[in-house]
Amino acid sequence: MAPPIYSALIISLGLGTTMTFASTHWYLAWMGIEINTLAIIPLMAQNHIPRAIEATTKYFFVQATASATLLFAGISNAFLTGQWDITYTPYTLTSTLITLALAMKIGLAPLHSWMPEVMQGLNLLTGLILSTWQKLAPLYLIYQIQPNNPNIFIALGLLSIIVGGWGGFNQVQLRKILAYSSIAHLGWMILILSFSPPLALLTIIIYILMTFSLFSSFMLTRTTHINSLSTTWAKIPILTVSTPLILLSLGGLPPLTGFMPKWMILQELAKQSLCPLATMAALSSLFSLYFYLRLSYAMTLTMPPNNPAGTLPWRLNPRHNTLPLALTTTSTICLLPMTPAIMSLMPF
Amino acid sequence: MLKILIPSILLLPSTWLTPQKYLWTTTLSYSLLIASASLMWLATPSETGWSFLNCLMASDPISTPLLVLTCWLLPLMVLASQNHLMLEPINRQRTFISLLISLQIFLILAFSATELIMFYIMFEATLIPTLIIITRWGNQMERLNAGTYFLFYTLAGSLPLLIALLLLQNSTGTLSFFTIPYLPSTCSTPWAHKMWWTACLLAFLIKMPLYGAHLWLPKAHVEAPIAGSMILAAVLLKLGGYGMMRILIILDPLTKELSYPFIILALWGVIMTGSICLRQTDLKALIAYSSVSHMGLVAAGILIQTPWAFTGALILMIAHGLTSSALFCLANTNYERTHSRTMILARGLQTLLPLTAVWWFIATLANLALPPLPNLMGELMIITSLFNWSMWTLILTGLGTLITAGYSLYMFLMTQHGQLPHHLISLNPPHSREHLLLTLHLMPLLLLILKPELIWGWNA
Repeated sequence: MAPPIYSALIISLGLGTTMTFASTHWYLAWMGIEINTLAIIPLMAQNHIPRAIEATTKYFFVQATASATLLFAGISNAFLTGQWDITYTPYTLTSTLITLALAMKIGLAPLHSWMPEVMQGLNLLTGLILSTWQKLAPLYLIYQIQPNNPNIFIALGLLSIIVGGWGGFNQVQLRKILAYSSIAHLGWMILILSFSPPLALLTIIIYILMTFSLFSSFMLTRTTHINSLSTTWAKIPILTVSTPLILLSLGGLPPLTGFMPKWMILQELAKQSLCPLATMAALSSLFSLYFYLRLSYAMTLTMPPNNPAGTLPWRLNPRHNTLPLALTTTSTICLLPMTPAIMSLMPF
Repeated sequence: MLKILIPSILLLPSTWLTPQKYLWTTTLSYSLLIASASLMWLATPSETGWSFLNCLMASDPISTPLLVLTCWLLPLMVLASQNHLMLEPINRQRTFISLLISLQIFLILAFSATELIMFYIMFEATLIPTLIIITRWGNQMERLNAGTYFLFYTLAGSLPLLIALLLLQNSTGTLSFFTIPYLPSTCSTPWAHKMWWTACLLAFLIKMPLYGAHLWLPKAHVEAPIAGSMILAAVLLKLGGYGMMRILIILDPLTKELSYPFIILALWGVIMTGSICLRQTDLKALIAYSSVSHMGLVAAGILIQTPWAFTGALILMIAHGLTSSALFCLANTNYERTHSRTMILARGLQTLLPLTAVWWFIATLANLALPPLPNLMGELMIITSLFNWSMWTLILTGLGTLITAGYSLYMFLMTQHGQLPHHLISLNPPHSREHLLLTLHLMPLLLLILKPELIWGWNA
């Protein structure tokens, strides 16, 4: 893609999210989300293969539906309450409609079906943008609407954790696995949003760090299928050590960083006396751990001199821009001892 | 406490920076030095029970023997793994030793933790190095399944434990071991209290393992390389026992009714797994099931919560740790020579390897709890306190002792006596390294006959 067009699209992506962050008017917030959607469409379709066009079309339809619902809900709220402030949504109808529209935007269950299909058609960098940057604006809006009834968040959250784990069970395509992992982690975020919004912020920050390192690892070795993971030892041996640790961190195993959001969320749920919910959420996240473990088996734990599962690929000239990978991998593995410091920094 | 922890942490850089020629010598000698220094923990004259305190770590008469066992085991693991790792590239050897060292660090932090959440995190943290050791360096294809069973059985039990601990922290404000015995009991609805009780104990019962949830253990022990089997059998099972001992203090008075099914299951497991041992063909599986059997007795002992039972459980944990690890090392000497774990393929070894037969004999006698070894002391104290709790348990425990003697003798006679199979043409004689390994296992066991007060726990 020509550099001026590429930079215009990236700037528009940033502009859209920033507009939503800076707005207090429903119309402006909706416009920011629309700019975001429109900016990422050409980025998704940039390599012009039919699968990418299919993914782009699916993404456009889903996001258009969700945006239209969001606009309708915002206007209904203005009609019922007489003002356009996004923090004032006292009526259950409008706040539920806003929540469902935004849930469809970020891919929470049961509105998640588009996510794996869209992610599969994209290249890894656009997939990274889709699963990290595109979640920020809608999550901000959900954060702002002051949810008074936590039931819908609990339902969305628990269902997303279960679907995110169960759906990824049978997948061999890495991008679909990453999509289901995104659904599961967003489920954890939404679960805690009505009880402690700062914890949801912590969860999304840690999730972005972990996903960024995982996507970067896959981008370095250009792997998109579980079979091609087994040749990582031949391309970049150090990744065979760091990627399983990133995967286990995504699965939420102590003493890695991914345990921190789960621990804090379970603590908050215990304080709210929601123990059966906490138990169900914790045990459902074991589903996702199963396929993360399978990925690390394919990559590291069956290394030669054991039988390799794939054939050796052509070694083309790789782009080794590994500083972001190094930073995010370190934070994905080593950040748990800093939990007290991080929790004291969270705004209350 | 830090005098031992910081040198253990610094073993990691020394593994990576040592030249190849001296790697195994260096790691062995430094870990042996740390193990000798860790014996200082055994001198605990404090009246309050807690010694070597700082804000986050302490040792008391229950955790001290387990800490010393952990530190003692690292040089033994290094010694045992040397042979099968010699053919690998140097960096993989370093990675393996680093995994063993990181296990030791996590275990020291777990046993010396003074706060339940710290204990929980370190309890879980030991899973990752063990998983990597089993699935990367195991020898058969079944090791992947073994790793999955190991990870998921333990996690399915420990996630409810986390929620139970967070609930407790919410109502009491702290989870420090110093104040836990003095807390008022958290009473909520009866059903919730029962669930909370189960959630607290389930993780440790699965880890011990209790008979119904023991399926991960034969898989993990059999598929692991020798160092993995050693650390699993000797220390990681005892983490479950130690956790149970610590947490039972806060679980009264519900324990009186709710522990019945678990005690009966544990005792039944002693008999069932003992019977399975009598019909095993796989040598490592036999030793693994014998571990389940002994740990069933320990679990039953801990659940009845009398002073003699706790003491017996602790003694049996230490003695079983040393014995089981020694048996796995002996099984490994067979495996390294014949590359098979099937017992009938390696019979009559007393003719070929008479010196190893001595070690087999002593280890087998230890396994069947011969007096005056500490194994007997532990088993006898548990059986006696169980008899005091209910006289009908004597049937189960007596039968269990009989079956233990049966399968231990079966194992010894099968591997050592009888005629040599015709396909065994030449076997390497035992190396001095293997003799040293078994001496270092069995000598502490024999010395503990002379001063068992060291491992008596709170009754010292």
